[in-house]
Amino acid sequence: MPRIKSLAIFALIMTLASFGLPAAPATAVGLDCPPTAAATTASPAAGSIPDAVAFPDEDVELTVFAAASLTDAYAEIADAIEAAHPNVFVTVETAGSQTLVTQLTEGAEADVLATANTRTMEQARNEGLIDGDAVLFTANRLVIVTPQDDPAGIAGIDDLAQDDIRLVVAGEEVPAGRYARQAICAWVGDDADALARIGDNVVSEEVDVRSVLAKVQLGEADAGIVYASDAAAAEIAGTPVRIVEFPDDVTTAAAYPIAPVAGGNTEAARAFIAFVMSDEGQDILDHYGFTPVS
Amino acid sequence: MTESSPHRTGPPSRPLTGLGWGTVAIGLIALVALTLPTVALLERTLDARPSLADERTRETLVEALRLSLVTSVVALAVIVAFGTPVAWMLARYRLPAHRLLDALIDLPIILPPAVAGIALLAAFGRRGLLGDELEALGITIGFSTAAVVIAQVFVGAPFYIRTARTGFGRIDGGLEEAAADLGASPLRTFWRVVLPLTRSSLAAGAVLAWARALGEFGATIMFAGNRPGVTQTMPLAIYERFLAGDLPTALLLSTVLLGSSALLLVVVRMLGEPGAPR
Repeated sequence: MPRIKSLAIFALIMTLASFGLPAAPATAVGLDCPPTAAATTASPAAGSIPDAVAFPDEDVELTVFAAASLTDAYAEIADAIEAAHPNVFVTVETAGSQTLVTQLTEGAEADVLATANTRTMEQARNEGLIDGDAVLFTANRLVIVTPQDDPAGIAGIDDLAQDDIRLVVAGEEVPAGRYARQAICAWVGDDADALARIGDNVVSEEVDVRSVLAKVQLGEADAGIVYASDAAAAEIAGTPVRIVEFPDDVTTAAAYPIAPVAGGNTEAARAFIAFVMSDEGQDILDHYGFTPVS
Repeated sequence: MTESSPHRTGPPSRPLTGLGWGTVAIGLIALVALTLPTVALLERTLDARPSLADERTRETLVEALRLSLVTSVVALAVIVAFGTPVAWMLARYRLPAHRLLDALIDLPIILPPAVAGIALLAAFGRRGLLGDELEALGITIGFSTAAVVIAQVFVGAPFYIRTARTGFGRIDGGLEEAAADLGASPLRTFWRVVLPLTRSSLAAGAVLAWARALGEFGATIMFAGNRPGVTQTMPLAIYERFLAGDLPTALLLSTVLLGSSALLLVVVRMLGEPGAPR
């Protein structure tokens, strides 16, 4: 059977050849500590209200690019704006912060950009994608979540270093994944052994923070590290997870900046941002587990 | 891909009539539209100058490519080992609820990847249908390389079974009877009579299944997770790099995967050539 044989041989060769690939240094199974967040050069001012605050009178279609973690809160903010201003139509598109910036770089059109960290907003600013300065409109904090029945018995961050815990985090380039690594690294300090044990427990580095939440909700993972807002969303969606807080001395706050997109409808964008900063906007964010800006 | 693949003999060349020109015009537009993304991918990759000197890029490529090849070949072996008897059964015996069974086996072909991912979780997840039984046996599938293979088998097997079943169905049952009359055991009949007659169907089905396994993405990312060297196959690595804003590496990985798929296509063509050794 030369045909089948040749296919089998081809398959075998491909497989064996893959082992002949230049040996990559064995990836350290574990977590790399990200460099501690360098103070951003131009840190956005917290809570400064933008100049123009009123929506225009004519019909406006506003496209908002928002970080994935804002999905539910921004949907409600959009509804509230549309209810108050029948001439305003808000479309919220959500994706990972980095993806949003990539999409804008590739020519996607939007009026407002809201990211989950100052790093990606800074990048957008440097590439001339936003108009003016960004303002911080909310904050989020990290929490450890487990399935409701807590199969692995996770009472605190130290339990993440137990043997054979199935821990899921977001990838290191996802803001939530970066914050999670910073929090773990801050907690273990110089204890390389604890860091290695937690690293060994990481069974998946998900591509966004909501995938981490899903793996915990499904019970596939014993624990995951997500934002408090994700845990709140799980509760609102009727598939709650159990929340374990990080110790107080581990900083896990994430600041969310927002800015009008260059070339978009900046007047309406500023009005949207003003609504987000208003008491009504902040109440909605609070309901979805975000921390209001002071 | 069956024995009567159209590329065996080229179409006769004939003069273009009025209708012919219209067809050619539409055809050319479609041709450009269909090939443009591939050409653009190559152009953009060259443009982005991804560097293999970057250790992170090299590591991602090597680990993902190796994992993709190993898992897809293992998946292919499983598909052939289990799919051949299934195809034979479907082609040779009238089973109860035959048509339903047939449709169920074909289902993963049209199943959207996200549905496949959820379905696999429902079956093999820790809280899934078999979760407790597997846990009792000390087997956890989620986040393991086994989960990647399971996803690939699930989506790839129908392509093999379908093609193999068609191949088996074309064999004259009289040949088997003749072989049996001459004293050949059923196994020997299968090996010496049936297989030689269906080898190109089986090979073509195997290549299709392999290509599908190699490209499997949706079910893997939902069911198996994303861990370099363990569950991060090429398609997952491409997606992960894309989300991370690392377009040059995403482009490089895409081009490599495109090359691997093209190589498979070449193999299919060779298998289908009339002059190929039989």
